[in-house]
Amino acid sequence: MSQRTDVLLWAQRVLALTNAPAHQLLELKIDATIEQAQDAFHKIARTSHPDIHRSGLTPEELESVTLAYSRVAGAYQDFRSQRMQTSRMRPFKDAPPTPIPGLTPARPTTAPAPAKPASGATPAASTPAPAAPGSAAGSMNSKALIYYRKAELALRRGDLKGAMLQMKMAIAGDPQSTFLRSALVEIEAELAKSK
Amino acid sequence: MQILGACRYNFQMSVALGIDLGTTNSVAAIATPTGVEFILGPRGERVHPSVVAFPSSGGVVVGADAKRYRLTEPHHVIHSAKRFIGQNIRAPLVQLAMTGVRYRVEEGPNQQPIVVVRDRRMTMPEISSNVLLHLKRCAERQLGTPIKDAVVTVPANFTDGQRQATKEAGRLAGLDVMRLINEPTAAALAYGFGRDRQQVICVFDFGGGTFDVSILRLNGEVFEVLASEGDFFLGGDDLDRALGEVLAAECNRILRVDPRPHAALMMKLMMGAEAIKMHLSENDAAEGEIDGLDMPGAQGSRLPFQITRKQFEDLIAGYVNRTCEVTKQVLLTAGIDARSVSEILCVGGSTRIPLVRQRLAEVFRKEPNTKINPDEVVSQGAAIQAGSLVGNLSAGTGMGARDAVATTAHSMLGGGGNVVLPQQQAKRPILMDVNPATLAIQTAGGFTERLLDKNSPIPIERTRVFTTSRDNQTRVEIDCCRGEARRYTENEPLGTLVLDDLPPKPRGDLKIEVSFRVDADGILHVRASDQTTGIRQEAHLQVLGAPSAEDMPG
Repeated sequence: MSQRTDVLLWAQRVLALTNAPAHQLLELKIDATIEQAQDAFHKIARTSHPDIHRSGLTPEELESVTLAYSRVAGAYQDFRSQRMQTSRMRPFKDAPPTPIPGLTPARPTTAPAPAKPASGATPAASTPAPAAPGSAAGSMNSKALIYYRKAELALRRGDLKGAMLQMKMAIAGDPQSTFLRSALVEIEAELAKSK
Repeated sequence: MQILGACRYNFQMSVALGIDLGTTNSVAAIATPTGVEFILGPRGERVHPSVVAFPSSGGVVVGADAKRYRLTEPHHVIHSAKRFIGQNIRAPLVQLAMTGVRYRVEEGPNQQPIVVVRDRRMTMPEISSNVLLHLKRCAERQLGTPIKDAVVTVPANFTDGQRQATKEAGRLAGLDVMRLINEPTAAALAYGFGRDRQQVICVFDFGGGTFDVSILRLNGEVFEVLASEGDFFLGGDDLDRALGEVLAAECNRILRVDPRPHAALMMKLMMGAEAIKMHLSENDAAEGEIDGLDMPGAQGSRLPFQITRKQFEDLIAGYVNRTCEVTKQVLLTAGIDARSVSEILCVGGSTRIPLVRQRLAEVFRKEPNTKINPDEVVSQGAAIQAGSLVGNLSAGTGMGARDAVATTAHSMLGGGGNVVLPQQQAKRPILMDVNPATLAIQTAGGFTERLLDKNSPIPIERTRVFTTSRDNQTRVEIDCCRGEARRYTENEPLGTLVLDDLPPKPRGDLKIEVSFRVDADGILHVRASDQTTGIRQEAHLQVLGAPSAEDMPG
């Protein structure tokens, strides 16, 4: 069964490459294009995807092939996001801040980091952007409330456009609500600002 | 030589079931050497309602029979369990879903929703396991062989907790769930298996309770999901409810009684709404009356209705627009132009609504594929994947599956004329699915650091090295979350991993390696280790709302 030894050798090779750059795991040159990376990943999947080897390998062998494949997938994703970052436009002018490292990506840090809050002390729900008086949200009908909540979630993501759409849906569900309308106006104002 | 007529299946090969466990209906199928065979219910039906009844007469009734108890004992009929499974009961959307059901849902251990019927308390996986067990038994009766292995489909946007709970349901039903696959991916597999072509397709899955849309690239036997988006609380049930509310208002106006506090009456109106919705998919208007509305103080027990398709479309336009927005979004994420999509597969009963197809055609400037059966295609894909995983696929499965996919036997999908040896081993399909959400950990200052991006291929593992933020820190807590917000608290918390007894060192000196691994089922495994001492912590994250750790195998 050469197919079997092939995939095991491949897995060994991949697992030996700890901390190697993405292109090495994909067996590519450093200046490869996204298309080449995709082809390489597909080629690896065709020969080494763990699903193809389910019956031919022992559980331990299958585990190592799965792990190797998972790492290559991670490398492919790294490669893709590196390439995309250089070409993609930023959606908003005010780019999100770089994370203040606490438990931090390993690089020298000078910022005194506050103690992390104990787990479980996480507030159950933070106040959403257009602060909703509990009563206003409570008196909405269920359809409007669903979309209102979705609008909140979109706002938390910083997705103003999504929030606007959701808020419009909420208004469709409860056209009488002045609260929803004023919230929509707020979002639209934000959206105009960000443009 | 094969002995014909002895038995239909070679029992040396294991038979594995493909199951589409839906919000409202479930379908099961198996891959055979000549196609896909559906598992039939007691009355020969292919579609099994995902309904579990606990009638006063005792026992447990599942499927079409259970549905009949909806009118007489609405509080003892559990439907739409999929809306609760693996969810945190405190989530606002779950609270809302609770208002839409007539049975009692309470908070149980680990914030999971618990169904209370009379004096029985059951977890959601237990409820769903009844549906799975029913399908398993039907299959065993039909095929005359015990069945252990299964592939179960889940909505693409199911979370880690929902996936774990679904697997748990399978385990409780005595099934070994080999794999969970995403519903749109299963549909694509049913459509594309054995076609060996290069094309980009869109799967638009608008079911009873969930909505998903995925863009896939088919490249020979490789099925690569490029992007997937969805809305977990949007489905045909919402359309029924919208129409049901109108009927309730009519009821109030004509019969002078508000039906809303009456569970059985509202159920009746919702069922009426569902029937009207289906009628309007085929006809321009629906007219008739809903009878048997016996209410104290009502002026009559019949509610006449007259609804045109146009009126219904106005009512649901908001929901349909929302699905189109999500579709445009997913195209953007996939980096695919709408015109380069060569096929649009409609999955889920709600795609039968003409307005949905019409709006979809506007987005893609192309008519969606109407040849596939939206109710069955997902289970066919699951059956093909199940067959593939147990090594039981032949080229004939694909051809047959495609015939089953097409409503007419020799349609364009069949390709015609290809003679394939039935026992020829088919190329196993390779599914490259994606994880549905961004996964991150909390770093000090309350920000997040992303480990895995949304729409990354799975299975996947990514490792990053972190360090401590204080001098002599001997304990590190790694809070994991799901979501794209920069602030940790704005995301959905998944759980915490603790590394203890670290050697005291100046801050920044310890190297802590954190690995996120999402397996082929879409379930997250987190590992953290200190590179100097080799202290390791591995966790299957305990997700709030999921069955507690002692319930889980392993």
